[in-house]
Amino acid sequence: MAIGGLPLFDALKARMSWHHARQKVLAENVSNADTPGFRPLDVKPPARAQSGLQMARTDATHMTIGGASPNDPTKAQRRFETTPSGNGVNLEDEMLKVAQNNQDYQLAASLYQKSMGLMKIAIGRGR
Amino acid sequence: MDLLKSIVAAASGLRVQSGRMKVVSENLANADSTADKPGADPYRRKVPTFKGQLDRELGVKTVELGRVRTDTAPFRTRIDPGHPAADLNGEVKMPNVNSLIETMDMREAQRSYEANLNVISSARRMISRTIEILRA
Repeated sequence: MAIGGLPLFDALKARMSWHHARQKVLAENVSNADTPGFRPLDVKPPARAQSGLQMARTDATHMTIGGASPNDPTKAQRRFETTPSGNGVNLEDEMLKVAQNNQDYQLAASLYQKSMGLMKIAIGRGR
Repeated sequence: MDLLKSIVAAASGLRVQSGRMKVVSENLANADSTADKPGADPYRRKVPTFKGQLDRELGVKTVELGRVRTDTAPFRTRIDPGHPAADLNGEVKMPNVNSLIETMDMREAQRSYEANLNVISSARRMISRTIEILRA
């Protein structure tokens, strides 16, 4: 059984390549921060796999397993700043996204590493 | 690999911002460059332009410096009858460089440069984290 076939590894792999793709798009946004008429882009987050276990909710404002998210990142936030040349890149915004992307990637990579450690324990080599 | 592409895009941003810095410093250095004879024009302020373009080989939207254009704003004049470039009224045409505007331009270039550097170091951290998976 290949390691790629395991659902956990597959999910982490998809997550990590999504962060790669996002980093590229964010880099393009930052480098074009002065190009006239440039509109910044972002990558849509991967669809969350529906887990079988859900908490019962009697009210829409109750927290779910994923936690309450006041600002849903899946929603495209409206740009509040466009320069007269038609450039919509907001450097602070992009920096925030770069930092967040980097941290999420570190998290996914650590999880991947831990799962590898589990596999090593299973084959009796790791500790 | 997308991380290397992001470094390529950010590096093009670095190149453009340093080119912009070059134009700004040319303007500042020539802020007092008058003509050497009456009637001739003094130094005219240069304006950098930016052009987004697609790196077809890598599929990355990079940026590059377009043609450096000149500012069409009118020249300042100064009364200095003894100057070699003074006209009959004793006025000397000075370059249309405003050091305040140049300073602001410089700050903006610096800010964009730092942002690009930030992206590069972030991409580098991601790459080294990936390599660490192998090491463990």
